[in-house]
Amino acid sequence: MGESIVTYNAFHHVAWGTTISVYFWLVGASAGSFVISCFGWVFGIKRYKPLTMTASVTAIIMLLLVPFLLTWDLGKPIRFIYLLIPGYWHSTGPMAWGTLLICLYPMSMVVYSYFVLQNNQTFAKVFGIVAIVLALSTHWYTGVVMELNPGRFLNHTALAPLLFLTGAFISGIGLMNVIVWIRNLFRSEENKFDPALIFEMASFMVYGIVFDIFLLFLDFMQTVYGNQNEVMGHTVVLMEIFRFPYLWLTMVIGLFVPLIILVSPLKKTMTGAVTASLLVAVGVYGMRIWWVLGGQYLQSFY
Amino acid sequence: MAIQEPQQKEPRSFGLQTPGTKGVIGKKRYAMVIDLRKCIGCMSCSIACKTEYGLPLGVWRTWVKVMEKGGYPVTKRIFMPRLCNHCDYPVCVRNCPTQATYKHEDGFVLQRYNRCIGCRTCMVACPYNARHLLPEKRTDDKLPRMVVDKCTFCIHRVKKGLVPSCVQACVGGARIFGDLNDPNSEVHKLVSTETVTVLKPELGTSPSVYYVGADWEIMDEPHSYTNRTAQSKAEFNDFKEYHNGDAFADIKEGENLMAEVGKNWVGYLKTIPHKAKETFQAFKIFLFD
Amino acid sequence: MVEICRRQFLVASGSVLASAAMLSPAQAMELELGGKNYHQLRTYNARTRSHYACTLCPYFDGGFSYVEDGAIKKTEGNPDHIASRGKFCAKGLASFLSAQDPDRITTPLKRSGPRGSGKWQAITWEAALAEVTGKVKEALAEPDTIVANEGGFQDTAMSRFLDTLGSSSLVRSCVPGLGGMAKQTALRQMFGVSFLLPDMEHSKYLLNFGCNTMETALPLAQRLTDGLVNNRLKMVTFDVRLSNTAGRSHEWIPVQPGSDGVIALAMCRHILEKGLADKAFIDTWTNTTSEKLLEALAPYTTKMASDISGVPEKTIKRIAVEFAKNHPASVFTMNGVSSRQQGVEVEQACLLLAVITGNIDNEGGCCLPRQYQIADPQPAPKPLSRPAAKMNHTFPFEVINGQRKVRVLFNHMSNPVYSAPAASLWREMLKDEQRVPFVVDFSPFMSETSEWADLILPDVVGVERHALVSSPTALKPWASISVPGVKPVAMAMDVRETLKKIVEALDADGQKGMKGFWAFANAKQWVEQSCAATPGLEANYKKLVSKGFWPDYGKIDPANRQIIKDGEPVAGEYGTFKKSGFATESGKIQVAIPDLKPNPAHAKLQPGQFVLTTYKVAYHALSMTANLKYLAEISHANPLMINKATARELKIEDGSLVRVTSPVGYLVTKAMLTNGMHPQVVGIATSAGRTSYGRVAQAKPDLPIPAHANPQLHDADIEDNIWWRDKGVNPNEILPLALIKGNGDQAWNDTVVTVAPAQSGDVYGTIRVDNAKHLELYKQMTA
Ligand SMILES: Nc1nc2c(c(=O)[nH]1)N[C@H]1C(S)=C(S)[C@@H](COP(=O)(O)OP(=O)(O)OC[C@H]3O[C@@H](n4cnc5c(=O)[nH]c(N)nc54)[C@H](O)[C@@H]3O)O[C@H]1N2
Ligand SMILES: Nc1nc2c(c(=O)[nH]1)N[C@H]1C(S)=C(S)[C@@H](COP(=O)(O)OP(=O)(O)OC[C@H]3O[C@@H](n4cnc5c(=O)[nH]c(N)nc54)[C@H](O)[C@@H]3O)O[C@H]1N2
Ligand code: SF4
Ligand code: SF4
Ligand code: SF4
Ligand code: SF4
Ligand code: SF4
Ligand SMILES: [Mo]
Repeated sequence: MGESIVTYNAFHHVAWGTTISVYFWLVGASAGSFVISCFGWVFGIKRYKPLTMTASVTAIIMLLLVPFLLTWDLGKPIRFIYLLIPGYWHSTGPMAWGTLLICLYPMSMVVYSYFVLQNNQTFAKVFGIVAIVLALSTHWYTGVVMELNPGRFLNHTALAPLLFLTGAFISGIGLMNVIVWIRNLFRSEENKFDPALIFEMASFMVYGIVFDIFLLFLDFMQTVYGNQNEVMGHTVVLMEIFRFPYLWLTMVIGLFVPLIILVSPLKKTMTGAVTASLLVAVGVYGMRIWWVLGGQYLQSFY
Repeated sequence: MAIQEPQQKEPRSFGLQTPGTKGVIGKKRYAMVIDLRKCIGCMSCSIACKTEYGLPLGVWRTWVKVMEKGGYPVTKRIFMPRLCNHCDYPVCVRNCPTQATYKHEDGFVLQRYNRCIGCRTCMVACPYNARHLLPEKRTDDKLPRMVVDKCTFCIHRVKKGLVPSCVQACVGGARIFGDLNDPNSEVHKLVSTETVTVLKPELGTSPSVYYVGADWEIMDEPHSYTNRTAQSKAEFNDFKEYHNGDAFADIKEGENLMAEVGKNWVGYLKTIPHKAKETFQAFKIFLFD
Repeated sequence: MVEICRRQFLVASGSVLASAAMLSPAQAMELELGGKNYHQLRTYNARTRSHYACTLCPYFDGGFSYVEDGAIKKTEGNPDHIASRGKFCAKGLASFLSAQDPDRITTPLKRSGPRGSGKWQAITWEAALAEVTGKVKEALAEPDTIVANEGGFQDTAMSRFLDTLGSSSLVRSCVPGLGGMAKQTALRQMFGVSFLLPDMEHSKYLLNFGCNTMETALPLAQRLTDGLVNNRLKMVTFDVRLSNTAGRSHEWIPVQPGSDGVIALAMCRHILEKGLADKAFIDTWTNTTSEKLLEALAPYTTKMASDISGVPEKTIKRIAVEFAKNHPASVFTMNGVSSRQQGVEVEQACLLLAVITGNIDNEGGCCLPRQYQIADPQPAPKPLSRPAAKMNHTFPFEVINGQRKVRVLFNHMSNPVYSAPAASLWREMLKDEQRVPFVVDFSPFMSETSEWADLILPDVVGVERHALVSSPTALKPWASISVPGVKPVAMAMDVRETLKKIVEALDADGQKGMKGFWAFANAKQWVEQSCAATPGLEANYKKLVSKGFWPDYGKIDPANRQIIKDGEPVAGEYGTFKKSGFATESGKIQVAIPDLKPNPAHAKLQPGQFVLTTYKVAYHALSMTANLKYLAEISHANPLMINKATARELKIEDGSLVRVTSPVGYLVTKAMLTNGMHPQVVGIATSAGRTSYGRVAQAKPDLPIPAHANPQLHDADIEDNIWWRDKGVNPNEILPLALIKGNGDQAWNDTVVTVAPAQSGDVYGTIRVDNAKHLELYKQMTA
C-alpha cells in the first residue's frame, strides 16, 4: 500500500559509547599482551622470557585504566561498589561476572609477575595459567556482554566472544611488537630484545588474521542472509554510517593490508613487520567501534 | 488466551526474580491493551505520564510514533503508542548486574533507583528502547538522577486502585489496563477476542503490551529508521547534539563518523566533574556527617 | 553552597527505601479511572484536589488540579464530568506548567527603555495602578479612546470595564463560543443558535468539513472514537490536507480550497433528486419545501461541483447517497469552511446536508447546543462594548490611517503581534507612541504583544483562576467551576481584581456610578455572583463548588462511557425544537441557497502558486501554551507541508529551504514533502516561530534569564535539557488581511502564495514584509 514514512518519534540515546569501545579494546590488547608474557614462563618458549615483564607490565597498565574508565562511565560512579556486594550480585548479568574478572585478572597478573621477578618457575607457571584463563575470560565476557542482547541484532551472535578473542590475540601481539620496536629504539645494543621475536610474533599474527577474516566472513553471511534487522544492520549501519571503521579500519587497514604485508617479502623487513603490527592494533579498535556503537545504532530511532 | 494450568515456566525464567506469570492461575499479570482503532494521536498519554513523574525533557516513558502511509490521495495516518512492555521474560532484568531492575510478582518490571549504578546494561538489553538514563539536572532534584528509569506501569497508582496515568488520560479510550489472568477483566476479554500483536514477538520477551489493529511497518525497527522525514532526521541530529546525554554514543547523521566518536569521548570527559562532585559529597557525608 | 545532611543525600541520590516495602502483591480491586493523585515515590502521599476547568480552548473541559507542597503537580479530567469524562487533551494536561513557568511575569513591569526594547523595571502594584488610573482619567473625556483588545473565550471583565467607563471600543481576536465569528453568524442566521453539536457517538455516518476534530475538538473526538469502534460509524473528512482527523477517517477527500460549499450543495441536490431526503422534515421545519429547494439547487450539479472541487463526480454521488441512507448521520464543520471568502454561506451549505436528511437534534444527528449562558455579576453596567464588539483584524489599519483615536489600549488574553493577520502591522502601530500613547497588557507571559506594552500587569493563569464555565460539548447542559488550590504566584493578580482596583481609584466615592458594578470582594466572589445571576444555576453555587460541576446526571460507566443513574443508562433528550421551534424569527430553519463562486484568486494558479492553509496542531493552544516545556517538546517546528509530486516538479526536496511569498512579503522555511497535501495547497502550522515568551518557546535554553523572571520558579530542566533548536517560522507574518464580507472575520485559509526553492542568501527563518503593501491592500479592500 504505497509509501510510508515516520513523521514523529521520540529519540533515544545510544546507551554505550566510546568509553565502552575503548575499554573493549584495552581489555583485548591486555589479554593479548599477557598471552605473550606467558609464552616464556607458561608455555616454556624460552626465547620469549626476556619479553615477559614488558608484556606483563603493558597488560597490567592497560587493565588498570579500565576501572577508571568504567567507573566514571557509570551514572553513579561511587556505586561501583554495588557490583561487589553479595546481596546485590546477579548471576545472570554478564556484567556481574565481568566485574569479578576485571578485579581478579590484574591481581593474578601481579602475582604472576611477582613470581617471575622471583624467578620462581613453578609458581610463575601456576599463576600464569590462572592469569591466562582470567585474561581470556575477561575478554571473552566482553563479547558475551554484547552477545546476550537478543534485540541487538548485529551483536547477538555466538561468534561475538570468538571475534573478540581473536581480535585480542592479534591486537595484543601487534601492540607488543610496536612496544618492543619502540623500546629497542631507545636501548643500547646489548639491552635490545631480539628483533627476530618481532618477526616471529608477526608470523603468529597471520594465523590470527586469517581466523579473524574467517569469523568476519561467517558474521557477514549471517547478517546478509539474516532477518530484516540483520540485513539492514549490515547495509545501512555497517556499510554506510560505519563504513569507515567497518570496511576501512577493520577490513582493509586492520586485516587485508597487514595480511598482504605479512605474506609478501615485506614481512622480512622491520618496517613491514612493525607497520603490519601497528595496523592490526588500530584495525581492531575499528572493530570495537562498529561492534559497540554500530550494534546499537539501528535502534536509536525506534 | 485461556487461563492454563501452571506450566513449566521456570526454564525461561532464570535471572528473573519471579517466573513468567501469564496464564498462571492464582497469579496476577497486569497488562495493557492498546486499541489502535481508537488512538487519535492526541499524545495525552505522553503528557500525562510526563506530568505524573515530572519527567525531564528528552526522556520518555511513553511516546506516540506517527506514520503517514499511502500515496496521494489515499493517505492514512497511523499512530503507535510505545512504552515498556513489562515483558514476562525481560532481558533488561536478566542482564542487570545489581538486580536494580527486577520483576515484581504481579508482572511489573520495576527499578530500584537506590540500587541502580547507571551502567545502562539494561538499556542495551531492552529491545524496545523503553529505558532512559535520567539526566543530571531535573526540575525536582530530590527525584532520582543519573540512574536508569522506565515506565513502571504506574504501580504506585495501581496499588491504590487507580489505572495508570496514561490510561486515565487516554482521550480515545485506546489504552486498557488490567489483570490479564482475570478472565473477567477487560484486557483478558480483548486479548482473547480481538486479533492482537506484540512488538518483536520473535525475541521471546513475551511482552505484556498488546496492540489491536497494529500496522507492521510502524512496528518495524529498520523501517522506522530508514523511512523518516528530513525534518525528523534534523531533529534527531539536534537531539544528539544538544541533549545532555552522559557519555552516550550519539552520532549525528551526515557528519564525519570518527569526529563524532571523538566528540563522544569529549562528552564522557565532560561528565566527570559533576560525577566527581557527587562522589565527593557522598564521601564527605558518609565520613563526616 | 547548601549544606546537605546525610538524610537528604540519601534522598537526593534516589534512595527509595520504601519501594521494596510497598511492592507487595496488588490488592484485588477494580481500578478506578482517576480522581486521585499520589506522589510517585517514597511517600506516596495523596495530593490535595481542587476543581479546575480548563480554559485553554473554548471546550472548557472539567477536571482537577492536584496540589502538593504548595504547588500544582498535575491536572487531569474529572471522570464523573459528563463532558470531559475524565479526559484532558495534551494542552489541558500540561496547563499547570504555566503556573511554574520560570519565564513568567510575576510582578508589574514598567517599560524602562524605548518601546519594544525589552527593557523593563519591576514596580509595585500601587505605582502601576496609579499610572493606569491617571491615564484612564485623562482619556475619560473621550471614553471611546479607551480601547481593549480581548482574546479570552469567556472572560467578560474587560468588556464590563469598558462598559463601566462608557467606552464601546472593544475589539476581539476571537469570539466567545465555539468556532469563529463567521461560523457563529452562519448558525445564528440558520438555526438561531451559534453551535450545532454532532452526536458522533450515536451517528452511523459523519461528514466532516474542515474540522480537525481529533486535534482541535478533543471532547468531541473521544465521542468520535466511541462511535467509530462501538457503533461502526463511517467518517468522511473533507480537508485540503491530511490532518490527524483526515488521516484517521475512513475516507479523506482532498478538496480544492473553499469548494466544500459547492460539493455540499451538489450532494443536497443529488439526495433530493434520488428521493432520499426527509421531505417531511424539510416541509415542516424549514422555511422552504423540498420542491423549492431542489429548484433552487438546480445550478449545483455534481458535474459542476466536481469541476470546481476536483473531487470525482462518482465520489460525490456515492458519498451523498451513503450519507442519506445511513440514518442517523451528522455533519461537522469548522474553520476550514467558515474561515474564508463566503465562509458564512459555505458553512450553511454544509449544514444543509443535515437539514435535508432530517438529522437535526435527533440521536446521532446535529444537536442543538445544551448549555448554560453564564451571566456576569449583577448589577452590570449598560452593555456598550459587547454588542458593538468586532474582530480586531482591521484595528491597526484604522489606527495607522488615523480613522480611530486611541489614548489607552488595554490588551487581555490576546496576542495579535503573533496571532493576527498582518502581524507586522500591529507591531508598526504599537511602535508609534503618537498614535497609541499608552499600552497596558494584562498578561502572565511576555508575549510578542507584551513586548510592545508600556505597562504589564501580571494576570493569573488558568490553574490559579476562579471561573465558572459552560460549553455545549455534551448532550446535556452542564456548568463547571474552577476553585484554584493554590494562590497566585508572587504578585500576580486576577484581572478582575485589578480592574476593580482601577475602577475604585477612578470613582473613589462612588459618585460616578462606576464603583457599584465592581462590588465583589475578589475573583471568587465574582464567580459566586455570576453563578447567582446565571439562569438555571442561581441556587447551585454550593453544589458546584463541592462537585466541580452541575447538574449531576449520574455516574459515567468506564466501560462504555455512558451516564448511568440507578443502574440504568440515562437516555438523551432529543427533538427539543419540536416543543418550541427554532430560535429563529420564523421558528424554523432558515434555508437560503447562496450563490457560491469559486475564489477567483484560486482559479488561475500558476505553477509554483498555492493556496496557503495555516492550521492548528493538537499540542498547542495558539499562544497560550507557547512556553510549556512538555508541549513544546512535542511540537515546536512547522515546516511547509507540500505535496510530494508537486514539490518534485518545483525541484523542492524534503527538508530543503523554500521561500514562501505572499502579496505582502515572504518567509523562508523548510519544506516537508508529504502525500497528505492537496497538490494546489501548502500548509504551515501555527503556534511555532516564537520571538518571545521565553526560553522554551524560542528553543534557546541559553538565553539570559530575563530580568523579570522569578528565581523561585527556576527550572533546571529547562536550562539543561531542552534539546530542540528548530523553533519554526510564524506564518501570520506574511498573511495579508482578507476579510470575510459582511462579517469582519479573517479568511485564514485563502491566501495565495508562491513557493520556490530558497535563493542565495536566504536563511531559515528569514521574514521580510512590506507594511506599505498591507496598507495598500487595505485601501483597495475598503474602496
Ligand atoms: N489544539 C488546539 N485546539 C484548538 C485550538 C487551538 O489553538 N489548539 N483553538 C480552538 C479555537 S479558538 C478554534 S476556532 C478551533 C478551530 O478548530 P478547527 O477549525 O478544527 O482548526 P483549524 O486548524 O483552524 O482548521 C481546520 C482544518 O481546516 C482545513 N482547511 C483549510 N482550508 C480548507 C478548505 O478549503 N476546505 C476544508 N474542508 N478544509 C480546509 C485545515 O487544513 C485544517 O485541518 O479550535 C479550537 N481548538
Ligand atoms: N495563521 C493562523 N492564525 C490564526 C488562526 C489560524 O488558524 N491560523 N486561528 C485564529 C483563531 S481561530 C483564534 S481564536 C485566534 C486566537 O488568537 P489570540 O486570541 O490572540 O490568542 P493567543 O495567540 O493564544 O494569545 C493569547 C494570549 O493570552 C495570554 N494568556 C494565556 N493565559 C492567560 C491568562 O491566564 N491570563 C491572561 N491575562 N493572559 C493569558 C497568552 O500569553 C497569549 O499572549 O488566532 C487566530 N489566528
Ligand atoms: S543501569 Fe541500573 S538497572 Fe540498568 S543494568 Fe545498570 S544497574 Fe541495572
Ligand atoms: S520492554 Fe524493555 S525495559 Fe521493559 S521489560 Fe521488556 S526488556 Fe525490560
Ligand atoms: S503506565 Fe504509567 S509510567 Fe507507564 S507509560 Fe503509562 S503513565 Fe507512564
Ligand atoms: S492518549 Fe490514547 S488516543 Fe491519545 S495518543 Fe495516547 S493512546 Fe492514542
Ligand atoms: S480540549 Fe484541551 S485545551 Fe480544550 S478545554 Fe479540553 S483540555 Fe482544555
Ligand atoms: Mo478561534
